[in-house]
Amino acid sequence: MQVKGSKEVKASVIDSGLCTGCGACVSLCPYFVSHRGRTVMLFSCSRDQGRCHAHCPRSEVNLDKLSSKFFGETYTGSPFGSYLEIQATGAGEKADLKNFQTAGTVSALIKFALAKGYIDSAVLTGNDSGYGVPLIVEKPADVEKTAGSKYSVSPTVKGVNEAINSGLKKIGAVGTPCQVTAIAKMRFNPIEDENFRDPIALSIGLFCTWALRASDFTALLRSKGDPSVIKKLDIPPPPASVMSVETGSRSYDIPLEEIRTLIPEACTYCHDMTAEFADISVGVFEGKKRENITIIRTDRGRKIFREAVSEGYITAREIQDSETEPLADAALNKKRKGLARLADAGLINSESGDSVIKVDNSVLEKILTGGV
Amino acid sequence: MLLSKNEGKELLLMGNQAIARGAIEAGVNVAAGYPGTPSSEIIENLASVAGKANLYVEWSVNEKVSLEVAAAASFAGLRSLCVMKQNGVNVASDFLLHLVLSGTRGGMVLIPCDDPGAISSVNEGESRYFARIMEIPLLEPGDFQEAKDMTKWAFELSEELGNIVMLRSVTRLSHASGNVKLGNYEPVQGKANFRFDGNLLDPKTGPVITAPVPMRHNQQQGKLKKAIELFETSPFNRYEGPEKPELLIITSSACYLYSREAVKALGAEGRTGILKLGTTWPLPPELLKKHLAAAKKILVVEEVLPFLEENIKILAMENIDSLGKISFHGKNDGSIPSVNEMNPDHVIKAVSSILAIPYDSMPEDYEKKGMILSFTKSPNRELTFCPGCPHRASYWSINRALTMDGRNGFVCGDIGCYTMAILPAGFSTIKTAHSMGSGTGIASGFGKLKSFGMEQPVVSVCGDSTFYHAAMPALVNAVHNGSDMLLVILDNSGTAMTGFQPHPGIPSDATGNELPAVDIEGICRSIGAKTYTSDPFDIAGTEKQLLELIEDNSGARVLILKQPCALSPEKKKEKRYTVSVDSDLCRGEECGCNRLCTRVFRCPGLVWNAEKGKAMIDEIICAGCGVCADICPAGAIKRSEVKP
Repeated sequence: MQVKGSKEVKASVIDSGLCTGCGACVSLCPYFVSHRGRTVMLFSCSRDQGRCHAHCPRSEVNLDKLSSKFFGETYTGSPFGSYLEIQATGAGEKADLKNFQTAGTVSALIKFALAKGYIDSAVLTGNDSGYGVPLIVEKPADVEKTAGSKYSVSPTVKGVNEAINSGLKKIGAVGTPCQVTAIAKMRFNPIEDENFRDPIALSIGLFCTWALRASDFTALLRSKGDPSVIKKLDIPPPPASVMSVETGSRSYDIPLEEIRTLIPEACTYCHDMTAEFADISVGVFEGKKRENITIIRTDRGRKIFREAVSEGYITAREIQDSETEPLADAALNKKRKGLARLADAGLINSESGDSVIKVDNSVLEKILTGGV
Repeated sequence: MLLSKNEGKELLLMGNQAIARGAIEAGVNVAAGYPGTPSSEIIENLASVAGKANLYVEWSVNEKVSLEVAAAASFAGLRSLCVMKQNGVNVASDFLLHLVLSGTRGGMVLIPCDDPGAISSVNEGESRYFARIMEIPLLEPGDFQEAKDMTKWAFELSEELGNIVMLRSVTRLSHASGNVKLGNYEPVQGKANFRFDGNLLDPKTGPVITAPVPMRHNQQQGKLKKAIELFETSPFNRYEGPEKPELLIITSSACYLYSREAVKALGAEGRTGILKLGTTWPLPPELLKKHLAAAKKILVVEEVLPFLEENIKILAMENIDSLGKISFHGKNDGSIPSVNEMNPDHVIKAVSSILAIPYDSMPEDYEKKGMILSFTKSPNRELTFCPGCPHRASYWSINRALTMDGRNGFVCGDIGCYTMAILPAGFSTIKTAHSMGSGTGIASGFGKLKSFGMEQPVVSVCGDSTFYHAAMPALVNAVHNGSDMLLVILDNSGTAMTGFQPHPGIPSDATGNELPAVDIEGICRSIGAKTYTSDPFDIAGTEKQLLELIEDNSGARVLILKQPCALSPEKKKEKRYTVSVDSDLCRGEECGCNRLCTRVFRCPGLVWNAEKGKAMIDEIICAGCGVCADICPAGAIKRSEVKP
C-alpha cells in the first residue's frame, strides 16, 4: 500500500462519503478531530505521509495481505472470514455483570482480560450527552459503565490512539468492523516505524449491519426525550421491525423505517458484518435472549477465551452449523452488497485512483456471483 | 506646539497637525469625528490641547453623529470642525444633504482625509464628489503650510457664506510632514447660544430647518455663486511657469508636488506651466479661462477619479468660442491612471509623452533585478495580527468550530484589524468584507435564506467600536426579523486599528475625562438576542461555546469575545505569562503536528528555528498571552504566570 497523507484522507475518504467516523485518524495530530460522530479536518497539513492515511479503514485495505499477516492464509471470502471456532456464549457468574446488552460476553471477556493482566486497559465506547465517545478503562469494575449497544457512529479508535499516547502498552479494544479493521492495519506498522511495538493485546470485534449518523440519531432521540438517560437500545428480531428504547422510567419503539434513513452513506460500502480482523468477534444470536455468537479467530484470542471459560467468566457451548446459518446468510449478503457498491464506484483494485479494497479478483468474482 | 503664540515661527508639522493648528488659529471651539486612517491625528492633536485651548473634542459613535454634534456648535454660533476618513462622508451624507440646505452659523468645516490607493482602507472612495452633489465649497491644500492656512480660512469662508465648507486632505498630506510658519493664535472663550426665535425664514435667527426646500436650495446655490467670486482671487490658486506654456498642467492637493517634481526632472520648466488650484469646487471660471486661453495642451493631474478634469472640460466647452481647440490629457485618455495613488513617475510619463521629451526612467533589467532581489533577499513579512492579539485566538476558535460543525458555515466580516481574517493571519475565516457594520447586516440577510434551501450556519464578526458605529441597527434588524445568525463581537476594548481611540464602551472620552461606559452585553440582551461572553484566550471554552451557539438555530445570538488588545495601554506594559519552548518535548518536523504553531497559528512571537528544527519563542516580541501553550499538541510550549 502506498501511504499518503491527510490531503488524501480528506479528499478520498471524508469528502467522498466513505468515512465511517471510526476515529483512526483522530488524536494522532492536531488536524483531525471527531465532532458529533463525524471526522473533521481542521486547517491544512502539508505532510505527504501520515498514520491518518495508513490506518484508515477506507484507504486501501489489502484483504489478502491483512489476512495473511493475521491468519496465515489469504482472504477466502467466506461469510465469517478466517476463524478457529464459533461458540454460543454468555457472561458467567464470576463476571458478576448487572448491566449488558444480551448475554454480556464482551463485558465479561474484557473484565477477565483486565483482571488477569492480559490487557492493561480497554478502549470501549461510552456516552456523552447522547454521543458515542471512546472511554479508556483500566479497572475491571469500570467495564460495565459502557456496556450496551450504541448504534450511532463513534470514534472509538481515537481512544486507542489516546491510550497509546498515554503510554499504555497492552490495550484491549472493542469495536465495530471498520474500527477493528483500522486497529488491524495499525498493528502491522504500515508506516514502518523502527520503534514500533504492537500496542494491541486483544481486539474484540462487534457484529455490525450499520451504524447511524450520530448527530441525526441523537436529534431523533432528543425529539423523544433526553438521550443521556437512555439505558438500553435494542433491535429485537423480525418481524418487530423497530428499535426499542429503554430509559429508567419508560420504554418506547421507533420504527426501523425511520431509523434506516439515518444510516450514513459510508456504511453502504461496508462488506464486513462480523469484524473479520479481530481476535474475537461477538454479536447477536438471533432468537436467543441470553446468548451471543462468538467467533474465535486467533490463537491469542482463543487462549484468553478458554481461560475465561475455565475461570467461570464466560459460559460457552458448541454451536451447530444450522444455528449460524442465518448469520452466515446475512454476512454474505452484506459482503456482496458492500463489495458490489465499491466495485461500481471503481474502488476495488483500482489501477488509476485510490482503492478502498484490494482483493484477489477470483475471490471477488465468487462473492459477487453467489457465495463462497 | 499646537498652542504656540510664537507667530512667524517655522515648525516641522505633520499635515494633520498643521490642520489642527489651523483650526486652533481660527478659534475652533468644538471638534468631533470618528477615527479612521488617515484622518485620526487631527482630533487626537486637538484633544491633547482641549483643556488649555477651551475646546470640546469628541470621538463620536459614528461620522453622521459627529457631523451632527459639530453642527450643533455651529448652530449655537461657535466654530466647529468635523473630521473623518473618505468613506465616513458616505455615513454622514444623509445629514450633510440636509445641513447644506439649512445652512450653518458659526464657521463649520468638514475635513475628510482620502486614502488613494486604499493603503489603510477597503475602498478608494472620493470625498470630492460629495462637495459637488451637496453643492458646497471644496478646498484642497497643496502643501503643509496651506493645510494650516486653508483650514483657518475655511472657517472664515464658512461664516461668510453661511454654509459648511469641505476641506479635503489625502494620505500623503495628512501623514507626511513639512515646514509650517505659524500664524497668530489668540485663545477664544466662545459663547454658545442657539437662537430660534427669529423669522421662520431667517437663517441667522429662526429655526434651523430645510423647509421651504426650493427657497433654501436657491439660497444655497446663491452661496455657491458667492464662493466663486471669492475663489477667483484666492491666493490658494497659483500659477507658475511661462506666460504661454506649450503644456498647462492643472492640478491640486499633493499632486501639485508630484507635478513640480516631474516638470523639474524632465527639465521642462520652459515649456510647461502649472496651475495649482486650492479651491476646486466650484471652479473659478475667469481664472481658468485665462489660463486655458494661454495653452493648447492641458494635462490634469489628480488622484483617483477625473473630478477636476471633467469640471474643467465642461467649462472649456461652455467657452469653446473664445478658447478654440484645446487637447485634454488626463484620466480619460489614459495619460494618468484612474486608480491607486499618484506619484511623480506617473506625471513624468504623461508629460514626457505629451511633449515628446525622451526620458530614461529606470533601465528595465535594473528594475527587474531590483524586484527579484527584493523578493528573494528581503524577509517575507505578511500582514498579520500582532503577537498576543486576541483576534488570532478568536478566529482560531471560530474557524475550528465552523469546520467541526460541518455545514459549510462562514463568517461575514467587518471593518477593523480583524478584517485581516480574510488572510491566513485569521485562517482565511472571513468570506465577506465591506463597510462598517455591514457584516452583521449581510448576516441578517443570509440568516433569512433558509426557505430557499440555505443550510449553512451564518456568523458575523464586528469589533466593539464597529458595534456601536453601525452594527447595532443590523442586530436589531436580525432579532426583530428572526434571522438565524450568530454575531461574534470581538471586543478588544478600544478602537484598536486607528490608534486606540475611546468609544462608548470605554469609561473615558477623547480628552481623558471619566464617562459612563455603555455596556455591549446589556445592549444585546435588551435588544432581545441570546447573549454570552467568553474570553478568547480560553480557546477550549470559547470553542465549546461557539459550537453550541452555531448549532443553536434559534434566531439571532451574540457571543462577546472579550479580551483587550495586546497593544492597549494597560496591557502593553506587562506580560501575563513567560512563555518558552521545551526543546526536548518539541519534536519539530518529527512531530505529527506539521509545525502547527509556526505554520498555521503563526503568531509572530513564535519562531521556527530551521537550524535546530524546533520552534522557539521570540521573547522580545512575545506578548505573553500564553495561548500557544494550548495550541501545541505535544505540550512543548510552556507558560508560567508572571508574579506581579
